[in-house]
Amino acid sequence: SFENRLAFRWFWLPEPVRPLHGSGCGQQQEAVGMEMRPETFSIFRTQENDPDCQSEQHQGQYYTVPPSHFHTVFPHGLPPRYQQQVKTFNEGCVMVRQPALELISHLKRADYSKPTLRYLLYGVKGSGKTMSLCHTVHYCSTQGWLVLHIPDAHLWVKNCKELLPSSYHASRFDQPIQASNWLRNFRTTNENFLSKIKLRQRYVWTKRESTEEGQPLGELVDMGVSRVKSSSDVVGAVLKELRLQAGGTEGGFRLAVAVDGVNGLWGRTTLKKEDKSPVAPEELTLVHNLRKMINNDWCGGAVIATLSQTGSLYAPSSAYLPQELLGEEGFDSMDPFIPVPVSLYSEKEFESCYLYYLDRHWLQHPHSQTEEGKKELIFLSNRNPSVLERLCAFL
Amino acid sequence: MAASLTGLLKPWTPRVLLVRWSRYNPYYLEPEPRKEVYHIPETELTPEQKEERELKSVRPIKAATNSVTSSVFNDPVLSKFVNMMMKDGDKIIAKGIITQTLENMKRKQVEKYHKAPEGKKAEIECNPYAIFHQALENCKPVIGLASIQKGGKFYQVPIPLTDNRRRFLAMKWMITECRDNKHRRTLMYEKLSQELLAAFSKEGNVVKRKHELHKMAESNRAYAHYRWW
Repeated sequence: SFENRLAFRWFWLPEPVRPLHGSGCGQQQEAVGMEMRPETFSIFRTQENDPDCQSEQHQGQYYTVPPSHFHTVFPHGLPPRYQQQVKTFNEGCVMVRQPALELISHLKRADYSKPTLRYLLYGVKGSGKTMSLCHTVHYCSTQGWLVLHIPDAHLWVKNCKELLPSSYHASRFDQPIQASNWLRNFRTTNENFLSKIKLRQRYVWTKRESTEEGQPLGELVDMGVSRVKSSSDVVGAVLKELRLQAGGTEGGFRLAVAVDGVNGLWGRTTLKKEDKSPVAPEELTLVHNLRKMINNDWCGGAVIATLSQTGSLYAPSSAYLPQELLGEEGFDSMDPFIPVPVSLYSEKEFESCYLYYLDRHWLQHPHSQTEEGKKELIFLSNRNPSVLERLCAFL
Repeated sequence: MAASLTGLLKPWTPRVLLVRWSRYNPYYLEPEPRKEVYHIPETELTPEQKEERELKSVRPIKAATNSVTSSVFNDPVLSKFVNMMMKDGDKIIAKGIITQTLENMKRKQVEKYHKAPEGKKAEIECNPYAIFHQALENCKPVIGLASIQKGGKFYQVPIPLTDNRRRFLAMKWMITECRDNKHRRTLMYEKLSQELLAAFSKEGNVVKRKHELHKMAESNRAYAHYRWW
């Protein structure tokens, strides 16, 4: 068959069945080996579904995110076209790529008693930054970290219908809808932490409402979801609590702050005040609190950020480098950070993607399954993942 | 003498500045977009092909139009459909709608395929191009009506249709159906994909219209001898 011919071309060996580092991985392989279909082994798929055990030998291969994890780990944060693909193929497969592997290896070896390290994923449009971020978020949640995933910071600086003046600080503005949506998704992701973390401070919302010290975090979040007016301040309180308690030795958890489109936090917004003057990003409560989170003055976690030109405001479409997209102010706040470049597909990764689409019956045009069609796809897409996906969608 | 000859070799002869038409000097040759022609090695060329190549190396060649590609994914029927759907010369929007339609149809079918039990999988057609061609075939009328005047009155006379006319009618009905009979908020590609999938399984309004035309032609059989060609 087609796959077998390609198998011999690439000389890929089947995975060695020796236990890798970590106790869970070896047993997993044996258990999974029982369920493996007795047909031809697939080059583009790997049975190693745990991001902890994935290594360079799995590069280019697709691993399946278990359906049970899907709705808890990714209620928001996946690119919309990928969500459609998951719905169509009835499974969520992510390619193991070098930037994500590098990030995960850094996260494994970092010292969490020192101030937080900031990682920045950058690359041309459509090269797979958001998907690498989601892969890392999946790793963090399988390791039991608390994940703070902001799906797109640009959504907070544009298209806001309701801008309320903040009750806490006179010159700031609140965004109730965005804040309550985010809190709802935060609640879905981190159900198990909500009862364990206790507040260390008393928060007063109105004359009659307050949250006492020692209450679980879940109550705070529920209050933010139900009382939409004060949800932005609740977000600020949640972020502050997590920052204080992340590195703690007693019941300490690790905090992963994953922000997509972090360049939206510095720069300009398209929002206007009532007297038609533009709103600066620091005048928004959500942005102000998130900036405090990204500073490296707390310890016990990591900040993983992605640049994005797609949703950005007033940025040229050819800009992809951190200096260009973050601007001076942003770069100074993010500095020092660990840059992780995300490149276009290599030949191996392209082959893998092509085979995956063939396997899922996505490439239906008879010519797309020939060598010539494949060459044409390489030429038209230049191995850019998102362009390839859009091309294969109608072929 | 050379100056007067080059004066005659102007590509256009614009007496009137024509925007839509292109009237090339007949001296210009047609371009050849197919890749296979250029891959034939020197030894396997027939004498006529060799002559043609030599002619092409001296004569000027017309510029290729935008719709001509050497891509393997080129489909003439689909190009014709895109042109018919185009409004005000905006082919980008028309092509975009068609690609979204194909993607939508493929998504629906592939989703059905992955959820179907093993026995039913072979019956589900996932190729959007195959669905499009089959749906168009199912919409093509076999016989048409023409309005012929005889003795002061006009009669609807059944007449045979050429292939081009049948294809045109099928596409026209499909497009008008999707433009007119849909909910205000449905997008064109959504409605088109629904109609094409329905026509593929011989249901839907377009095949109904085709059947009605056939019935009218059948009921007017008596006037068939009014046709003189």
